Amino acid sequence: MSKIRYESVMTADRNLNPTEHEEYDSPYTIPNDRYAALTTVLHDVGGEPDFPQALYTKSEEEWEMNTYVTCECLGWRGAWNSEMRRRLENDLGKTQYYGFPYYGRWITGAARVLVDKGLITTDELGDKIDEIRARLEKK
Amino acid sequence: MATPKFQVGDKVRIKDRTTLFHTRTQKYIRKRVGTVVEHRPEWVIPEDEAWDRMETGRKEPFYVIRFKQTDLWPDYTGFAQDTLESEASESWLESVKG
Repeated sequence: MSKIRYESVMTADRNLNPTEHEEYDSPYTIPNDRYAALTTVLHDVGGEPDFPQALYTKSEEEWEMNTYVTCECLGWRGAWNSEMRRRLENDLGKTQYYGFPYYGRWITGAARVLVDKGLITTDELGDKIDEIRARLEKK
Repeated sequence: MATPKFQVGDKVRIKDRTTLFHTRTQKYIRKRVGTVVEHRPEWVIPEDEAWDRMETGRKEPFYVIRFKQTDLWPDYTGFAQDTLESEASESWLESVKG
């Protein structure tokens, strides 16, 4: 990773840290209400207070439909099912769950399943990601 | 096929179980009382399906449960007769007398 890229990744990463950093920096004990808050299942947001969201429509992008089709094919071949996908999305943790695009969560979950099942290795996957990034950055 | 424990018209309360990793039972219906309005076919419960146990997972009858909106939201401003329906597997339900 180049020095400039390293610096920008670290800056972005620091901006993701919770504001109340000390309280969330692996405390020795936590009160029950925080345990309840921290163990709330991520996708179970129905009924939570929120501010009004602007409604805007967008059409699907190619990578989104490619992701969808890849994930469905993995389902047909028995690699996973929709309930596993939902659980794996929750497993991403709050930062990645809300930080990734919707289909970014899908494809990350799919990758996780393939690694868990020994169908690909993390270095194989990482090498491919790096190869594609290098190719796109050249363009 | 297991015989469903609850019948259409029965009042049921949704259990407030710990849901550490994954759940399909919304927190706004947990601890609330509703009425069974429909049976759904027996199926592998999401707690097992989510961990790739389609073949060996536990199967349970599923139910459609109807809640009064005013029972779900303390400050509900809609009509008093408004309802909401959700689905849950049998192990999430306990019977309510009366």
